[in-house]
Amino acid sequence: MPTGPSILLVDDEERFRQNLKKMLTAHGLTVTAVGSGDQALAELAKQPYDVMLLDMRMPGLSGLETLAILKKDYPETEVIVLTGHASVDAAAEIIRLGGFEFLLKPCPLEEIIAKIESAYERKLARQERPG
Amino acid sequence: MTDSTPHLPGQESWPGLWHHLAVYGSSWLVAMLAIILGMFVSLLLGLVAALAAGLSFLTIHRLLRQKAVADQEKHLVDEQLLQSQKLAALGKLSAGLAHEINNPLAIIRQEAEWLLFLCRQSEPLDMTEAISGLRQILKQVDRSREITTNLLNFARRQQPIVQAVNLNRLVGDMVRLVAKETEQRRITVVTQLAPDLPSINSDAPLLRQVILNLLNNAMQAIDQDGTITISTQPTEPEAILIQIHDTGCGISKELLPRIFDPFFTTKPQGKGTGLGLSICHGIIERLGGTITVASEVGKGSTFTVKLPITLTPKEI
Ligand SMILES: Nc1ncnc2c1ncn2[C@@H]1O[C@H](COP(=O)(O)OP(=O)(O)OP(=O)(O)O)[C@@H](O)[C@H]1O
Ligand SMILES: [Mg+2]
Repeated sequence: MPTGPSILLVDDEERFRQNLKKMLTAHGLTVTAVGSGDQALAELAKQPYDVMLLDMRMPGLSGLETLAILKKDYPETEVIVLTGHASVDAAAEIIRLGGFEFLLKPCPLEEIIAKIESAYERKLARQERPG
Repeated sequence: MTDSTPHLPGQESWPGLWHHLAVYGSSWLVAMLAIILGMFVSLLLGLVAALAAGLSFLTIHRLLRQKAVADQEKHLVDEQLLQSQKLAALGKLSAGLAHEINNPLAIIRQEAEWLLFLCRQSEPLDMTEAISGLRQILKQVDRSREITTNLLNFARRQQPIVQAVNLNRLVGDMVRLVAKETEQRRITVVTQLAPDLPSINSDAPLLRQVILNLLNNAMQAIDQDGTITISTQPTEPEAILIQIHDTGCGISKELLPRIFDPFFTTKPQGKGTGLGLSICHGIIERLGGTITVASEVGKGSTFTVKLPITLTPKEI
């Protein structure tokens, strides 16, 4: 039955993480939520995910570092970057690393869902015509 | 009576003069020549001196003008440097601020969206869940307010109110203020206060803020079981030192240069704003002192505040 994308949510702010998981689940999406970049990588090692929502500023492995590892080791996973600050430098760095999708906190739930859906479609399209 | 003719000395000396001239004529000439030569030489010397004076005046004038121009340029460069440093600090500040404020805002938005979602359901509203959401909104608003107040304190660069401060007493007060928390964390606080410490001219409320921030950081670095040693001592010309040593987690070499940056924190979301040390730094600078840190990972950290005994207020 679960035909939608598998989603991995990574954010160190516990309440935000739980809320978002609860809300996305209420909209019929399947979400796994973890609190750090290291946990996210451990989760990805266990099973593949279609879309990942990744917070930029976290203690330990930062969002940017996690993103660099993702692009190298899990290129099939579409990444949407969640960020609370729109530092121009960080944005340039993210684009350079190839994670194009952005969400600036705070943003409406519909926007998050729309971004997840388009990311998933992009992933499916890529799978249909590989290379 | 003839002898009584009035005798004028001049009258009698005239023929003497001629005689004189006849006898010493040549040497008179020599003397005259010497005088003329002397006058000529001194005239020449005077001319040279005047020339030299004129020249050196011009040179000094030129040098002074050059120095003035150089000073002006240096001032301009300093000003520009300061300006760019300020802008850099502002950039860092606003990026940090956006992040710090946007995180609580994001949660507030979620709670409101969720409550709205629940209200629109046909089932009756789950009160426990609604209350939890509303509580969370209040909590996040308080968190944002704390950030803005901190920022305001940081931005409010009021002139220090200078008066005699007994530092030993001030330190003692602050240690007592945190006594409950140190006890809970089983942290021993050792005070080593120099008995001969002179009172200093400074701003007591600002200094209290600094000591409290440093004590808070020390406690957080230790978490549980450890020792904080706080000492005061007079030091070389006209200054005093306050040192706060903790046996906490320490700070790595990579992070050390960043700890005084506004919003730099290694503490979890909602726990630290990262403004504590940047505020301390701002205050101590305003009070004419310095704040430095030495630290070793796993061993602990020592923050050293140096303050002048007499404060010459400076505009920053
Ligand atoms: N005594 C200490 N031992 C170890 N690390 C410290 C110590 N003091 C400060 N730090 C480090 O410097 C960082 C910045 O300190 P600062 O006081 O500015 O902010 P904070 O303590 O994180 O947050 P806030 O003071 O707003 O609660 C801390 O997060 C911590 O990593
Ligand atoms: Mg602090």
